[in-house]
Amino acid sequence: MSALLQRGRAAAQDQAAPASRPRSGKSAAPRAKRENLAAYGFLAPWFIGLVFITAGPLLASLYFSFTDYNLIGDHEWVGAENYERMFTDARLHSALRVTFVYVFVSVPLQLALALALAMVLDRGVRGLPLYRSVYYLPSLLGGSVAIAILWRQVFGAEGLINQVLGFFGIQGEGWVSHPDYALGTLIVLNVWTFGAPMVIFLAGLRQIPAMYYEAASVDGAGPVSRFWNITVPMLTPIIFFNLVLQIINAFQTFTQAFIVSGGTGGPSDSTLFFTLYLYQRGFGAFDMGYASAMAWLLLMIIGGFTAVNFLASKYWVFYGD
Amino acid sequence: MYTPPGVGRPRARRRSTLLPLAAAATALVMAVTACGGDSGSGDGVVELRFSWWGADDRHSTMQQVIDVFEAENPDIRIVGDYTDWSSYWDRLATSTAANDAPDILMQEERYLREYGDRGALADLTEFSDVLDLSKIDPLVAESGDLDGQTFGAASGVNAYAILADPQAFEDAGVEMPDDETWTWDDYVEISAQISEATDGETVGTQSMSYNESGFQIFARQRGENLYAEDGSLGFSQETMAEWFSITEQLLENGGQPGAAESVEIEGGGPDQSVLSTNQGAMAHFWTNQLGGISESSGREIELLRYPGESEGERTGMYFKPAMFYSVAASSEHPEEAARFVDFMLNENAAAELILADLGLPANVDVRAHILNSLPEADARSAVFLSDIEGTIVDGNPPPPIGAGQVVEITKRVTDDLAFGNLTPEEAAEQFMSEVEAATGGA
Repeated sequence: MSALLQRGRAAAQDQAAPASRPRSGKSAAPRAKRENLAAYGFLAPWFIGLVFITAGPLLASLYFSFTDYNLIGDHEWVGAENYERMFTDARLHSALRVTFVYVFVSVPLQLALALALAMVLDRGVRGLPLYRSVYYLPSLLGGSVAIAILWRQVFGAEGLINQVLGFFGIQGEGWVSHPDYALGTLIVLNVWTFGAPMVIFLAGLRQIPAMYYEAASVDGAGPVSRFWNITVPMLTPIIFFNLVLQIINAFQTFTQAFIVSGGTGGPSDSTLFFTLYLYQRGFGAFDMGYASAMAWLLLMIIGGFTAVNFLASKYWVFYGD
Repeated sequence: MYTPPGVGRPRARRRSTLLPLAAAATALVMAVTACGGDSGSGDGVVELRFSWWGADDRHSTMQQVIDVFEAENPDIRIVGDYTDWSSYWDRLATSTAANDAPDILMQEERYLREYGDRGALADLTEFSDVLDLSKIDPLVAESGDLDGQTFGAASGVNAYAILADPQAFEDAGVEMPDDETWTWDDYVEISAQISEATDGETVGTQSMSYNESGFQIFARQRGENLYAEDGSLGFSQETMAEWFSITEQLLENGGQPGAAESVEIEGGGPDQSVLSTNQGAMAHFWTNQLGGISESSGREIELLRYPGESEGERTGMYFKPAMFYSVAASSEHPEEAARFVDFMLNENAAAELILADLGLPANVDVRAHILNSLPEADARSAVFLSDIEGTIVDGNPPPPIGAGQVVEITKRVTDDLAFGNLTPEEAAEQFMSEVEAATGGA
């Protein structure tokens, strides 16, 4: 079967990267140049934004993280004091715990759901563009204030969920107001925004040549075996891409927790995400120096996870070459 | 680097590079210009932003007041900028930090010094030719001062009290207490009776520990206070543990809603209080909130003195400046802003609309003017205030800088207590250490 796979891979490469092959050798160089120019043109707004809007505050926050800065008045250099305080800040530790639970539960669930639905849609459903759009919609809306407010209503004591449960004679809790469940509702909210990774998975599934499946079927592989031996390995680059992106996103979650808990991170700090606590320190307690230091801690955490992800990817991501 | 397939896959069409460049440039220009804007309107009219917090009925009243002011002062236009109480402070902090504070803003005792001390508020005495502060009730006249400067003008006078719905008492078949003699035990017992008699349909009382103003009364009844003169904590841990144990008892005997339900009720503000929704008999609020809550409940809500006023070594209730009008130090038109504050403070026309919503008016002449035209609920709160005036021993020392954070600490500790994570003793200990950290450090 390995010779078969070899040929199959070559075919897959043919399909996957037509753009990288110059179609006619003659005009390749000028065209590439023009393409680059267009790319830079599109890049320009973002790049200018990065330099003037993001980079300045970024560097300023690094500086402020070493100061005692109350947001309105002057600031004073305090060295690494803000970073030292983090070791004894119990609320920071609880915020880290909440955030890690959120990331490590919601991201795998979200990706699993995204992959499952992508596979269903990939079977050639009628009206695929419609389904694709409908499922993608939550990804566009999920981070919005409106959805967070809706979430609070749906999971409230008198909300939709409890009305449905009540129909079956079950007395539900006020899900968002109970420390044991509040984080769960936010995880569900994040899982619900599976549309963006789903669309990417769908594109990835399209790239797997049908002949692999045919060959495997001939060899007697069932659906489960085909999934684990063909779909998953061929999709690993996509899974990796989604994983990196969604982890970075999840670490930075703010709006949902802010709205659902009314900005408190409550009840009992059960939804006190890292970014929400950062916001409370900076804008509630006027402790912007500490908040800046927290921002850099978050950057280091996200950077660390991304680096580990990339290093580990060598061992499980299959690029088909 | 890896690019996801299908995303960067070029299709056949590729014509001009000019078009995308133009599109990009346009987007950029639009993004840049969107950030400019909003300075004056060029016709000699000064535009000022006025921020306040409150529930729905206040927002419409304020808009009417603004309309009257603009009719009298055609050279000034006021833009209202309002939100509910809890979002207000987040918003004010961010806009102040961005140097975009509203020109005129509502302030509160616990936050006023924080902002004043950091140079975010203008000294109102500088505008004495347009802003008259001389008619303010001496009781609260100096409450907005810090180091010889006046950062806020008190809008009115307030007291923290218990709001009770006689209808709910009647439905439960429980008699209204005599509020001159009732004790804390009575309070716990009556609450439980109401919940029990109505099978939980009507709860006895809304959780009281979400607001430290109630604890302040409790501490004063024991000869202590929330803060001492020097801004340090003015109470003992035993006193606070005792306070939290009352809430614990009420949770156990069903006199107040369960923990999760309380979180939800608390998050909804006055409009969602158990009185407003006709789901409870008592709740703890400021006297100026009587009008709004009566209206949303559709009932004739009454005011009761705090329990234990005759039980402890002295009475604990106190008057408080309800809110303050302040002018931002960063305002480009502080003089015009001060004129608006003067209007709010000293004009009968403004008071006729606001009535007692911002406390019983601080200007004594204006107060006398509207006293007879107050709607029933506000008239009752005016009578209530004058009734208790004789029993009030003294005022409170100004809260220390950082007191604004205590609002959030109180809520969090109360949640932990209600969900059983902390005992009353532990809750008291945590509250004290957190408040000390928030108010002690520079």
